[in-house]
Amino acid sequence: MASVLVPVLYMLIVFGGLGVFSYIYRRKAASKRLPAYFPTHAERNAYVSLLQKSDPPASDPLLKSALVRRAMADVQRVLRLREDKPALQALLQKGSIGDELWQSLLAAEKELEAEIVEVVSEANSFVEGWGQVIFPTANEMIANEKMRSMYETSEDAKRALELKYGMKASSSPSLPQITVGPAPSTPAKDTDPESPSKKAKKRK
Amino acid sequence: MSHGHTHGPGENHNHSHGPPQQPAPPPVDPILQAQIDADFIPANLGLSPDNNFALCSAHSLEKCTDCGVDYTNMNRLSKLLVQNPTLLCPPPSNVVSQKLSQIVTTTKDEGNTLFKMGKHADAIKKYNMAAGIAVQRPPWESNNFMREELSTVVSNRSAAHLESKDYISALADAEMVIQLRRNWGKGHFRKAKTLVAMERLQDAADALRLGLAFEPSNVELTGFLAEIQEKQGN
Repeated sequence: MASVLVPVLYMLIVFGGLGVFSYIYRRKAASKRLPAYFPTHAERNAYVSLLQKSDPPASDPLLKSALVRRAMADVQRVLRLREDKPALQALLQKGSIGDELWQSLLAAEKELEAEIVEVVSEANSFVEGWGQVIFPTANEMIANEKMRSMYETSEDAKRALELKYGMKASSSPSLPQITVGPAPSTPAKDTDPESPSKKAKKRK
Repeated sequence: MSHGHTHGPGENHNHSHGPPQQPAPPPVDPILQAQIDADFIPANLGLSPDNNFALCSAHSLEKCTDCGVDYTNMNRLSKLLVQNPTLLCPPPSNVVSQKLSQIVTTTKDEGNTLFKMGKHADAIKKYNMAAGIAVQRPPWESNNFMREELSTVVSNRSAAHLESKDYISALADAEMVIQLRRNWGKGHFRKAKTLVAMERLQDAADALRLGLAFEPSNVELTGFLAEIQEKQGN
């Protein structure tokens, strides 16, 4: 005896409620910010800040150098992402981590792609064709810097070894020398001045 | 003609552009771009008087632990570009400076001569010089050159330290060589020699086995390992 309207109204309310809920939920999900996978890009900030300087403007060599360092940071991020991605995927399948971290990684990947495109176009804006070369250059520079730092921290390595083996290098400053055998004193004089003279060469 | 690139949150740039660029790269998703721009935190940079170097703005230092910045490497590259005005940008890595290799090799050979004559302290000085020059190589060149040069010089220096009975320095150098070139049998050999001189036969044998894992057919390593095993057997 009820009218035809009642079931129709019922369907409308149910599906209408569903529609409204899904709309609100999707809007909320889309606007939710994922936690960043990487910390803020220091080299990009430095580069853009240098570009913004107008009084006085930064010189071209400095800008190019900042761009190369930005490229180097990007290369390191790419390597890190390449390592992390399969590992995170395995963890995700096992269920050890949540979806959020995975989404962060994907978002970081997309951002990095956009960033690389931007760096290439910036490089081309300085010198035509530099965009193709800048990333290989960045690769070489990363290796170079690693070797350089290995060479420059050799004094620290020596201190660590001294502690480990309980012996002293001939160049160790002021401490009583426990050398094995008749150690000539001349090595003490030339390995110490090496660091200030190296620094002098570097700064020149 | 609009630029094919952006410079971050709407500022103008002050460098000059070359002739009109190639066709613009694919357009970036604007939401992504907005997110990237929002992520921008201006860095607190100051410029040196000649505008060629970056310094921290609070203390005018290149490397400042208070501000947590280190612009040494950036300034080094900038200096290299300033000193070579013909160099518009760091060139591709196959462009090599021959003169530098020659100087390094000459100095290293002088060191070798002194070493053979028994003047170990002077040999070490020469090796230090050679290594110092080898590290000055422009960083955009293919890193294999620097790797080879530096590892040979440091390996010889390790031998010289060993002859001067400075075992720690010899060991430090040998380990540096191994870090630079893991596949090179000589580095492992040097380390083993130093450890044997320090009376640590087991560590020396381990170092040799590691070297053999990288270079299984190295005769030097196998021969020395056999010697050590004999000594251990006694």
